[in-house]
Amino acid sequence: MITEANPQSPETQKLRKSSLKHNWMHVRNWIEMAEEGDPLIIKEGKGLTVIDTDGNEWMDVNGGYLCVNVGYGRTEIAEAVRDQMNKISFTPRGTTTEPVARLSKKLAELTPGELERSWLSTGGSEANETAVKIARAYHKRNGDNSKYKIISRRGSYHGGLGITTWLGGYGGQGSRVDYEPAPMGMLYAAQPNLYRPEVPGSTPEEITVNAAKSIEDLIIYHGEDTVAAFIGEAFSADTPFDACAVPGPEYWPMVREICDKYGVLMIVDEVITGFGRTGKWFGIDHWNTVPDIMTMAKGIVSAYVPVAATIVTPKVANAFAGEANIFPQTLTFGGHPVLAAAALANIDIIEKENLIDRAAELGEYLMEQMQSVGSKHRMVGNVRGLGLMTAMDLVKDQVTKERFPPEANVEKIMADKFAQRKLIIRPRGLLCFSPPLCVTRAEIDQFMQAVDEVLGEVETEMGISS
Amino acid sequence: MANTHTDEIRNMALQYQWMHNADWTQMAETGEPLVMVKGEGVRVTDSTGKTWLDVHGGYTCVHLGYGRTEIADVAYDQMSKITYFPQGTTTIPVIELCEKIAELTPGDLSRTFPGSGGSEANETAIKMAKAYHRRRGESGRYKIISRKGSYHGTTGGVMWLGNNATDFSLSDFEPAAPGMIHVPHPNHYRDEYNSKTPSETAIKCAQAIEDAILMHGPKTVAAVIGEPVSQPIGAPVPAPEYWPMVRDICDKYGVLLIIDEVITGFGRTGKMFGIEHFDIHPDIMTMGKGIISSYLPLAATTMSERIAETFGSDNMWHAVTSAGNPVAAAAALKNIEIIENENLVENSKVQGEYLKNGLTELMKKHPIVGDVRGIGLLLGMELVADRESKEKFSKEVNIAGKINKEFKNNGLILQSDGNVITVGPPLCVDQSDCDEIVDGIDASLEVVEQQLGVK
Repeated sequence: MITEANPQSPETQKLRKSSLKHNWMHVRNWIEMAEEGDPLIIKEGKGLTVIDTDGNEWMDVNGGYLCVNVGYGRTEIAEAVRDQMNKISFTPRGTTTEPVARLSKKLAELTPGELERSWLSTGGSEANETAVKIARAYHKRNGDNSKYKIISRRGSYHGGLGITTWLGGYGGQGSRVDYEPAPMGMLYAAQPNLYRPEVPGSTPEEITVNAAKSIEDLIIYHGEDTVAAFIGEAFSADTPFDACAVPGPEYWPMVREICDKYGVLMIVDEVITGFGRTGKWFGIDHWNTVPDIMTMAKGIVSAYVPVAATIVTPKVANAFAGEANIFPQTLTFGGHPVLAAAALANIDIIEKENLIDRAAELGEYLMEQMQSVGSKHRMVGNVRGLGLMTAMDLVKDQVTKERFPPEANVEKIMADKFAQRKLIIRPRGLLCFSPPLCVTRAEIDQFMQAVDEVLGEVETEMGISS
Repeated sequence: MANTHTDEIRNMALQYQWMHNADWTQMAETGEPLVMVKGEGVRVTDSTGKTWLDVHGGYTCVHLGYGRTEIADVAYDQMSKITYFPQGTTTIPVIELCEKIAELTPGDLSRTFPGSGGSEANETAIKMAKAYHRRRGESGRYKIISRKGSYHGTTGGVMWLGNNATDFSLSDFEPAAPGMIHVPHPNHYRDEYNSKTPSETAIKCAQAIEDAILMHGPKTVAAVIGEPVSQPIGAPVPAPEYWPMVRDICDKYGVLLIIDEVITGFGRTGKMFGIEHFDIHPDIMTMGKGIISSYLPLAATTMSERIAETFGSDNMWHAVTSAGNPVAAAAALKNIEIIENENLVENSKVQGEYLKNGLTELMKKHPIVGDVRGIGLLLGMELVADRESKEKFSKEVNIAGKINKEFKNNGLILQSDGNVITVGPPLCVDQSDCDEIVDGIDASLEVVEQQLGVK
């Protein structure tokens, strides 16, 4: 339903002006924002609903960057933070605190297999940087000094720092050309995307198997004694081509086998897929496979404060036991008692309110709605996902799967149409729907109805009506 | 009961937690780690009820001291309103914090990319510097000049900046990032040029930057990065010639100057920012730690508008989920307000001078103290086997292990990483706290010197 926005108050205009002058926002252009009356300034939130400074109510369909898993406005987490700050607000050097020890234990219990020891940090990028450093140092400790290369998948995303910027990736928008030269030893395997397979195959099984084989091919080509680790998300998240491309059941067990065969560590990035997002605690649980290293962030604390973790198996950790083998790394905010207390409160909500099962159940419902809406529109090439992590691949032509050219400006047109309906959805090649796990059926109905309308309008405007 | 509980938490930490730079097998034997349960001012209390003086103030980051309930209240209030933000939007505390940083920082620094830690802030600074040159058609500028002994973080792009290979090896993580150039540090006590005066050290070390730029070719260099005063090597304060010369050299060759204020910022050196002692303005400044006294994770990368305008309609592709968290921003604003209202910057200057005098006095009694240096509450002591030749203790002596044991016996949370002891208590210390720190270090040195037979 299209609703008129309340006018911008003088107070909002003042804040906007200040933001445009001083606040360097993620990947948004301040000149363009100034022209369009942006940025929107949010002051309150509950569940999926957020309220801006002029009293307009919006539905934040993707809960921030797919990270507000328990929804906005959970005062339990606020209380945990306040209480812990009033006890001790930082861990002094060389010591520990109870919430940090408890969170570490909790992560060992929740994660699959023998994953046991956690290096705590404050963001997914840091967690993945730590994972890569651990992998390289692990091999050096074992006398394999030449194993340093890291295999990731084209189209994946693992962060924005020195090494992680160069893992995964895709051309065009989101280009890294600004930051060249790339670090050494970055290798790229095929993404197991059944809709847009890089290595072709005539069946989903064949595509999946070929994508896994592309990892082995790389290892053989580069030499097994040069490869330190493979990293991949359980399945890719909010990226322009491969979001929510769920590989077939063969994929992860095969990857595990390949890694074992060549002494390559397997890192699974659960920054987005973790903590119930896919209808299980961790995305990789759908494949019954246990990585050597797993990384987590976002949902671990529903982004109420910055928390992340890198957890490893005893096999990996043991390489660093003993005074001569210490892993040399410090992050000021790593192992922080307030963050750990917040994460424990968040995990407690997920458990007590059964949000994992809820994600599985509502994920199925969402998928039904997406299939039903998708079947009505020619610009929906593909509908996919698992749990509450889903996407529609938008195409100009269903047969060729060709995308709209950038000059058609489809993403911006759609975002504006969603905004008219007070929905925050920013399409990026795909339309992603990864709402907080507390989403209701009524909310799913509401945003899917808007999606139906917006797709219809855009198809008419683009002259591709069914 | 208390002990059972302590053991439970300790064992949990030993089995499941990967602590910073710690060996869990050794900790298991020595009864570590301590479990800290309470903090107030400069003191923390462990689970057995014993109280410690935190001479490091966390990692030189708890500026206000522990236990400020105002921060907890602000965090709670903000969390009850909004804890995150939908994609492409922002929140009031983040805007207000960015405005406040523009007001506090020197020169024309005005636009802030918030982050969640010093490493991230420096990574962002380097990405900005490279992207800036590329937008101006100079895509060949990618090398970064840093000073040996400096520290700028631990993630992939920044861990290769600075560093002190003798104390902290990075060989675990090779191969290094491309384009890392290292120049001598303006540390007069251990000057690579053996200069006669601090000024000579400063001039030669600044000149070394120009030499490096010329050697590599100006069109290949993106930025110079440095802390105003570098903590890991014991806070040597460069002579006044250094930073103005570096600024001029950067301008001469179109190289950006990044000043890392992660440790020195927010009053640590007796001014709001360390670089204010040297009267120059950087192009990019990074902040962390003291911006929020580490009650929550927060950092910032601030750029001058002159440079930032290159990105106005063509932003760089860089996003971090934890950046722009409104709860951390609200807490930081309150933290800065307390620093201002309670004159903690001035207190840092006054207590810093008092503490430095106290530590310098110790040189009279203790021959193994080779040098005492620093500014404000960013202080350092260097231990030597021979004061005349400045010879370091050999590895076998394990001087750090010996002195750290005594610091612990004297109720101090204080750890030497090698031959250098850094002293950086919360900015709220008073004279009697300073006396206690000096007395504890005095007693520790006494025992170690007896063990070494130098007394």
